[in-house]
Amino acid sequence: MKTVFVHPERCIGCKQCESACAIAHSQTKNLFMAVFESPRPKPRIHAEPGLTLNTAFPNKCRHCDPAPCMAVCPTACIQRAIDYPDIVLIDAHKCITCGMCAMVCPFDVITYFPLAAAPERAVVAVKCDHCIERQRKGLGPACVESCKVYALEFGEINELVKSARTRYSEAVSVAVGQVSPQVTALPANVEAWRAYGAAVTHLNANGKKGV
Amino acid sequence: MTSFSGNGFKNLSINADTQAMLEVARKRGIETVWDRLAKQQPQCGYCNLGTSCRICAMGPCRVDPFGDGPQTGVCGADANIIVARNLARMIAAGASSHSDHGRDILETLHRVGEGKTDFYAVTDSAKLKRLAAEYGIQADGKSDQAIAKDLASEMMEDYGMRRAKLPMAARAPKARQEIWEKTGVYPRGIDRENVEMLHRTHMGVDNDWVNILLHAVRTSLSDGWGGSMLATELSDTLFGTPTPKMSQMNLGAIKADQVNIILHGHNPMLSEAIVAASQDAELLALARKLGAKGINLAGVCCTGNEVLMRKGIPMAGNHLMQELVIMTGAVEVMVVDYQCIMPAVTKTAECFHTKVISTFDKAKFPGAEHISFDPARALEIGKIIVRKAVENFAKRVPDRVFIPVEPVPMMTGFSIEAILGALGGTPQPLIDAIVKGQIRGAVGIVGCNNPKIKQDLGHTELTKRLIENDILVVVTGCATVADGKAGLLVPEAAEKAGPGLRAVCRALGIPPVLHIGSCVDNSRILVLAAALANTLGVDISALPLAGAAPEWYSEKAVAIGTYVVGSGIFTVLGIAPPIFGSPDIVKLLTEGLEGVFGATFAVEPDPNRAAVLIRRHIEKKRAGLGLSAVEPEKIGMPESELALA
Repeated sequence: MKTVFVHPERCIGCKQCESACAIAHSQTKNLFMAVFESPRPKPRIHAEPGLTLNTAFPNKCRHCDPAPCMAVCPTACIQRAIDYPDIVLIDAHKCITCGMCAMVCPFDVITYFPLAAAPERAVVAVKCDHCIERQRKGLGPACVESCKVYALEFGEINELVKSARTRYSEAVSVAVGQVSPQVTALPANVEAWRAYGAAVTHLNANGKKGV
Repeated sequence: MTSFSGNGFKNLSINADTQAMLEVARKRGIETVWDRLAKQQPQCGYCNLGTSCRICAMGPCRVDPFGDGPQTGVCGADANIIVARNLARMIAAGASSHSDHGRDILETLHRVGEGKTDFYAVTDSAKLKRLAAEYGIQADGKSDQAIAKDLASEMMEDYGMRRAKLPMAARAPKARQEIWEKTGVYPRGIDRENVEMLHRTHMGVDNDWVNILLHAVRTSLSDGWGGSMLATELSDTLFGTPTPKMSQMNLGAIKADQVNIILHGHNPMLSEAIVAASQDAELLALARKLGAKGINLAGVCCTGNEVLMRKGIPMAGNHLMQELVIMTGAVEVMVVDYQCIMPAVTKTAECFHTKVISTFDKAKFPGAEHISFDPARALEIGKIIVRKAVENFAKRVPDRVFIPVEPVPMMTGFSIEAILGALGGTPQPLIDAIVKGQIRGAVGIVGCNNPKIKQDLGHTELTKRLIENDILVVVTGCATVADGKAGLLVPEAAEKAGPGLRAVCRALGIPPVLHIGSCVDNSRILVLAAALANTLGVDISALPLAGAAPEWYSEKAVAIGTYVVGSGIFTVLGIAPPIFGSPDIVKLLTEGLEGVFGATFAVEPDPNRAAVLIRRHIEKKRAGLGLSAVEPEKIGMPESELALA
């Protein structure tokens, strides 16, 4: 199963995944043209802020199996792609905008917008399609390509989990002095920036604390 | 939810008036700066870290702070070069803003010299003559007008390329000037340093990040010891050097039964004319005819500070109040000049009868009425604007008027001349109090509001911690309003000071926190520091002084912080500047500068921790001067409580 694996600790909130997603799902596939399109293309990935300043999580369709959205769709317009069974797709022409899929989505990533591909409909359910068009051309998802800090990775889930797991084991090994802490630690400047963000957040939440 | 929304308005501001107006905004569905900040979350990490570069069209580029992605821009600039160029350009923009403000005041002095004005005149003749002597102008037997003409003409050279050194920089102690010469940062011409900064940060010019930052220091010094100092000195010359007086502060400065005019921006030229026009008998009669009891003025931001210092005009609020003052429904006109005026104010004004009037041709605002300010007809234009306000009173909707608080008293007007006057003419009594340890040192708390910090929390908490520990505080800009609303700018606030400072304040009848002016008036801090250092025969960096900008937001604040550090004064910032993407530059600014300028920056958002950093620094400097001092490490640092409640 191929997926987009998220490393939230690496996300610095630049939202380039959002704009790359919108461009990949535009008619012109070009940033400067896409902003003039009608309807305006929408991102299907959402980098929303975390609890403290300077943190963010890029949230998108996880392509669940079984997918709750598929199970509740009364028109059966949500189906797995025949050529890419890992991908859950919405047939915009059959969508009746009932909102059921959005209600049951565990990640709240189904939104409703006008779609150039379904001009007969005011708005339809819109979500990540894992850039199936790009995948058919041998490319990966646009969000992953745009991410310059490797907060998003695309590949076989078990391989990605393994590499994350390896990093974790390296971190554990630090405790027994087998590798230098630098191998797994975030750069000190990024940690300082995050600590600063957390300090500001804390300050605003509990002004008097720390006296 | 982020800390910028939800959890009630108490998380956004410490002030009752702000919180009450945010409730009005919520009920009426009016957007504020805090809503817009929440909508911007998460803000781009590259830009926050300073590692995005938009300088050329091979880019835009960014450097991955995690080290795996691109480490240079298309041109090859690494994080150090990109961060240095971005920071240098911020400083140039800030220095240019203060210096262009100074230029407008200088042109007004020139106009007075030529007799081409219906309003302006030399008010402080003694200061004019002192400046003339400083600039080597023969003043004997000449009229003030003739001296003004010669002085203005000579000062215009400060902006050019003929000078090897800015004349007012010679006010700094010899030791400081030697540091500037040795490091090649002695400021020459105001415009010259700013233009050279833009040149150096063009692609392919200066790529030595230390060299870029050294010129950034020079650029900032051309502001502190040039443009800003000139703005202060000439505003004093034209409008009067401030003297201590009582005034008031907070939204209660707006009066339900009067025509209210809000003066917002930074330049006192037009606001001085409006102060005069608001006393016009015909306009007052018209106001009364329309049912108003009078014409009331109230300031916001540094235009407010300027007329507060010289005329005692109350201030309605600081930076984050600018939209909220309109929501009282009692503002007939908000007159804006330039700097820190959010384009959002015209949108807020659309919800009420308030007219926003822009006045400077270099600062226009969509949705505002523009009345082009001409200094030759200043009083006439002032009257036109006041008339518009009076006439607009008829359109006020009484049901919508809501002024939630009564104003708080405060004391203002502490120019350096006034401080020395209170001390009996010399800085010696202040020095004696410092030597005896009654006063441990002095700190300037300056700078803006930033919605990322709970409004006024940084300013007021830091001020309280410092005065409790016998440290005299001087304030400018938005910090003034924060401390004024908190009741710290009255002589009775001596109760909140430590025993040493309390005794000094009681003896002199002054508050423990002295209002010294607007943000260009931070140059007064340099003048006072230089006077103290010269009296003692030491460099500024030897003195027990510090600066703090707990809630800064603007490029001007970066220029101020840099000239303060470049002048030898340790400075704590509450908001991180966009430099964390370059560990080398963070190290240079927080440690390395000590060996070059005898002062560094620190970043600390928690005011209680910032106070300890400052107290430790002051005790270290006291020990250096051979004065009684506490071991810096014995001053306990409060825990940084990062866990969320």
